[in-house]
Amino acid sequence: MSASVAASAACQAVQLGDWRELLAVIGDFLRLSLFSLGGGNTLLNEYHHMAVDQYCWLSSRQFAEIYAIAEAAPGPSSMIVGLLGMGAAVKEGPLWGVLSGVTAEISILLPSTLLMVVAALSWNRLRHSPWRVAFERGLGPITLGILFAVGLKILRISDHDTPAYAVSLVVCVLMLRTKISPLWFMAVAGLMGALGLVNR
Amino acid sequence: MAEDAPAPTHLQLFLGMQQVALSSFGGGLSAWSERIVVEERQWMRKEEFITGLTVARLFPGPNQINMAVYIGSRFRGLTGAIAALLGILLLPFSLLMLLGLGYYYLNMNMAVDRVLAGVITASAGMALSMGFKIAGAYARDPVAMVLAGASFIAMTVFHVRLVPLVLVAGPLAMAWYWPRQEKP
Repeated sequence: MSASVAASAACQAVQLGDWRELLAVIGDFLRLSLFSLGGGNTLLNEYHHMAVDQYCWLSSRQFAEIYAIAEAAPGPSSMIVGLLGMGAAVKEGPLWGVLSGVTAEISILLPSTLLMVVAALSWNRLRHSPWRVAFERGLGPITLGILFAVGLKILRISDHDTPAYAVSLVVCVLMLRTKISPLWFMAVAGLMGALGLVNR
Repeated sequence: MAEDAPAPTHLQLFLGMQQVALSSFGGGLSAWSERIVVEERQWMRKEEFITGLTVARLFPGPNQINMAVYIGSRFRGLTGAIAALLGILLLPFSLLMLLGLGYYYLNMNMAVDRVLAGVITASAGMALSMGFKIAGAYARDPVAMVLAGASFIAMTVFHVRLVPLVLVAGPLAMAWYWPRQEKP
């Protein structure tokens, strides 16, 4: 308990009521939007940095939990940004929580959406451009490296004992080798947690 | 050649994408998107849909959301994109907000906490698989593996943030892979 008090003293949560802080946070999401390579999962480390280290909305443990909720829920898992936004305003009450979640989601989607509209309308010209070829081939390996960094980060904040790491590795292999729906893995792992087979 | 169906209206775009979102509760967003847009509603031919997927994956943003934006903007420009985006997001996002309210505002008991402790081990495994899933495409290209390794080390060991990493490594990688004028 004393450790968590010390941690919260070191990390001062930002006041979103201060409009300058609010604009800074919205600006962070708007900027990250244009860097969401590889379908957006590359941003997870940045979300963790923002929410846990920089703005102190969540603990690492909460981050691991909302990542799991976003993965389990239907729809694109990149909607985790909505849950981050809600976490940022959680003390202000549910209504502000939802409002903050919606604002965060709009901020992360707006720039990439506008760019995508331009891309869709001008694709025939872009298609054979050397820029497009170089972008696709050059950014692919960087995306690969970042995805490994993200996977390792989530693994580190989620698992703390050997059985937990073992479950994660088995799920990873099954994800790659089978077409079983990930919901089954989460259900079985949740049951293992309930039975006390894996712990934090 | 059969004529294509007339271009969908804003409302049809919204409802079509909502159908995609609803059908894919439980997974398989991409497959449902193709089934509904190409086969059922016949808004696009298959080749055009695949082109859309290519563009959606290439540009920043979540792939399935980008695909909805692509479909909407092909038919109705920016407003069509917004209609399609709302269609694919409204229900899943509302549900996620409800889950979030439950998570943040209901006092969790020990049982829920233990279930979550289990569930996050599975989602961590899913996160770990993301890199391996696309690694095969680069395994035979040593430069790509060096780029991937350097990006991984920069982020994991030196805690370099994503934006500066992409701004520095991106142009270098693009210069290396710039298409050379070999073929006339």
